[in-house]
Amino acid sequence: MPNSIAGKGATEADELALLARVRRGDREAFCELYQRYQPRLYGYLRRQLSDPGTVEEVLDDVMLVVWKDARKFRGDAAVSSWIFGIAYRKAMTAMRTERRYQAPLDRSANADAVAAVSSQHDEWIPVALMHLSPDHRQVVELTYFSGFSYQEIAEIVGCPVNTVKTRMFHARRRLRVLLPALAGQAKEQDRERA
Amino acid sequence: MNAPETVSHEQAAGLLPWLVNDSLVDKEKETVLEHAQSCVICRRDLDDLEQLRDSIMSASSLKLIPAADMRNVNARIDALIDRQNRGPLLIARLREAFESPWRIAFVAQSVLLVVLAGLLLWPRPRDAEYTTLTQSQYLPPGIYVRVVFSPELTQFELIELLGSLELTIVDGPSNRGVYTLGVAKRMSVEDRDKLIMDLQEDPKVLFAQPVNRGATQ
Ligand SMILES: [Zn+2]
Repeated sequence: MPNSIAGKGATEADELALLARVRRGDREAFCELYQRYQPRLYGYLRRQLSDPGTVEEVLDDVMLVVWKDARKFRGDAAVSSWIFGIAYRKAMTAMRTERRYQAPLDRSANADAVAAVSSQHDEWIPVALMHLSPDHRQVVELTYFSGFSYQEIAEIVGCPVNTVKTRMFHARRRLRVLLPALAGQAKEQDRERA
Repeated sequence: MNAPETVSHEQAAGLLPWLVNDSLVDKEKETVLEHAQSCVICRRDLDDLEQLRDSIMSASSLKLIPAADMRNVNARIDALIDRQNRGPLLIARLREAFESPWRIAFVAQSVLLVVLAGLLLWPRPRDAEYTTLTQSQYLPPGIYVRVVFSPELTQFELIELLGSLELTIVDGPSNRGVYTLGVAKRMSVEDRDKLIMDLQEDPKVLFAQPVNRGATQ
């Protein structure tokens, strides 16, 4: 999602005004903020969490924190970074809970299962991302799915900018190995079936 | 970041992922592009990253996003506002009650009666508050929270509050009404402090304090 910096300025002013109204208990402003963020947050959370019901629950949790904590927003970060920071923390907690209730992900078995479905490169991305550590995956997701700058990601995740760059470096290195491996596996299975 | 006029290969390579998502500021963008023109490795990386971005974006467009449904969050906000409003309402009623001298006399008499009845009927605590602390020594390692709820809290509200914060009752209430609550997940110190703040902000929570049992994290 490419961002125009000028467009971002206008959106930021808009969202600051909305948040100021939310701080005063304005439900209409909250509704507008919710409508604005719901698609982005849903997309972001859906890629971290496997259960759609959990995604909706966590999304509501995030927006409830926005309602409750609007007065705590100091403007040190952009409104979107602040909201995604809340979503990031909620997502990490929900991911830990999900992992506890699920059988541990058998990475090779999982790759086999998806490899059997399709050998399209684009369809490998979600599978490959699942093979990254949560920290590395978050940086890739926030960059390419959500369109955040590295400074914004540092604010969201709560780490130094250099850590964001390092995580991206490691994520890319792993993806470079994973994507051809996954695609190659699929091709081999296609050939066997033919 | 204040981008220098020229950047090293390492600096430029580190910024390429954000050149591709178009989130670099103009000056950074300029210097990174300038470097890429004369660096074969960065140009190849740029091609790879553009492919990665396109793949990710086309994969994300496959996902269906349901229409926004605010019923649940609205109900939770209503409950929150309702809880917050009950405090000032009580104050308003008291203020109203103190408007006439007869009312003052009536209220004073009622308060006296309630206090006397309370003194007579209040069960003597068999143990002091440290009972819970002693019992908590037998708890497995983890993060626990000691909480005293307002007597106004209904059972339904208690269940809702515990559910929303992912807490479970592991001990209590003690004679002084102290509950020991278990945290249903591994938690960092920051998360625990945030939880305590959330609890302390709740008008139906009179007291909230963390109890650490053994190693956590
Ligand atoms: Zn270079």
